[in-house]
This record gives sequence, structure tokens and C-alpha cells, in this order.
Amino acid sequence: MNEERKKILELLSEGKINADEADRLISAIEGTGSTDEDQAKSASASFPKYLRILVEPGENSEKQERVNIRVPVKLIRAGLKLASFIPKDAQHKVNEALQEKGIVADFTKLKPEDLEELLQQINDLSVNVEGKETVKIFCE
Amino acid sequence: MMPLFLRLRVRDKDGRLFGLWLPLFIIWLIIFSLLILAAPFVFLAALCAWRKGTGRIIIEAYFAVFSVIVNLSGLRIEVESKNEGVYIKLK
Repeated sequence: MNEERKKILELLSEGKINADEADRLISAIEGTGSTDEDQAKSASASFPKYLRILVEPGENSEKQERVNIRVPVKLIRAGLKLASFIPKDAQHKVNEALQEKGIVADFTKLKPEDLEELLQQINDLSVNVEGKETVKIFCE
Repeated sequence: MMPLFLRLRVRDKDGRLFGLWLPLFIIWLIIFSLLILAAPFVFLAALCAWRKGTGRIIIEAYFAVFSVIVNLSGLRIEVESKNEGVYIKLK
């Protein structure tokens, strides 16, 4: 029996509230409790566990290579947090190397406090690229 | 929970399959021992660098390394071509 329910029953036994009032208070507590539980459940259900990257060869592809990667979102979170501790000079070098490969990203602007927002946005991420190979990026 | 085993499967050009289970907990024992041994030096360095403002970063980075190791569980990498293939899974 939880504390709030116990207090209501004590008030009832002391005669400070009547049975109807006790009933209303108990149902109000149960209502709030279930809402909190539901919210927690829905939040954990909506948060993705893994980031999936699938590369499948197209019909005319010469390589016929398949790639299937599953990365835990918790690992991405930890990795990004660790990456944010890389010194600025090294981050500039990483940015330059990425730009040479055609990837425009600025790691110097990555802050630990932005991670939560970034990870929440990953949930809705779904990328489909079809060319010689089909690339699918999604969360599950 | 950190991964305790690494499952490695390789298919070579001739189509032969090689499977391997690596007990990671032995490696973790070594790595964690080293990290714990390094802890006093890390905290000392953090204390020295506290006034410069980098002390907190040193401690946070130290724990971030732990966090990366612990969250490796569930990582799966599978690369296959016509003749060859590599499959890595951390469990």
C-alpha cells in the first residue's frame, strides 16, 4: 500500500473525510499514477534502441556488396559525448578530412547538451537512397 | 551491460566459413584494471588543471570512455560480397 492511499484511509478512519470523499481521492491518485506510468511507457517505447544502416546492391551493380550495420543508440550517445572532448585543433582536422571526402559537418559545434535533442530527432530519421546501390538508414 | 563475447564469422574467397567466439570479459578485465590504475593519475591531472577549466573535461572524458565500453553491447556489423563476407557481433 502506498503512502498516499494509507493517509486517505487514516483520514477516513479518523472521521475527517467521508467514504465518498475517500473514494474520490483514491481514484484521483490511481488516475495520476496510471498517467505517469503510461507516459513513461510511451516515452521508452518511442525512443529507438538501434540505428540501422543497410546497403543492398542494385540489379546493375557490379560490386554486389551487402552491408548491414546495427549500432546501439546508447553507443552513439556515448561516442558523441566522447567526441565532444576532442581538442578543437583535432576537430578542425577531422572537419577538413571529412570535407575532402565530400561530407560537410562541423564537429567543433557539437556540444554535450545538444546530444539529447539530436538523439530524439534520430527517432524520426529514415533515409532511402536508390542508385546503383540501395541505402537505407532508419531507427528501430 | 557491457558485451561479454564477440562473435566473428569470416567467409573467404573459396567459400569456407570461419567462426570465432572471443571472450571479451578477459579483455575487459585487463582494460578496466588499467583504467582503475590510471584513475588516481587522471584525478590528479584533473585537480592540477581545474583552475584552467579543463579539469572537469578530463574527468568527464574518463567516464565517457567507460560509457563507450559499456554500451558496445548489441553492435552488429555485416559486410558481404559475392564471395567473401565478414560478420561481427558483440553480445
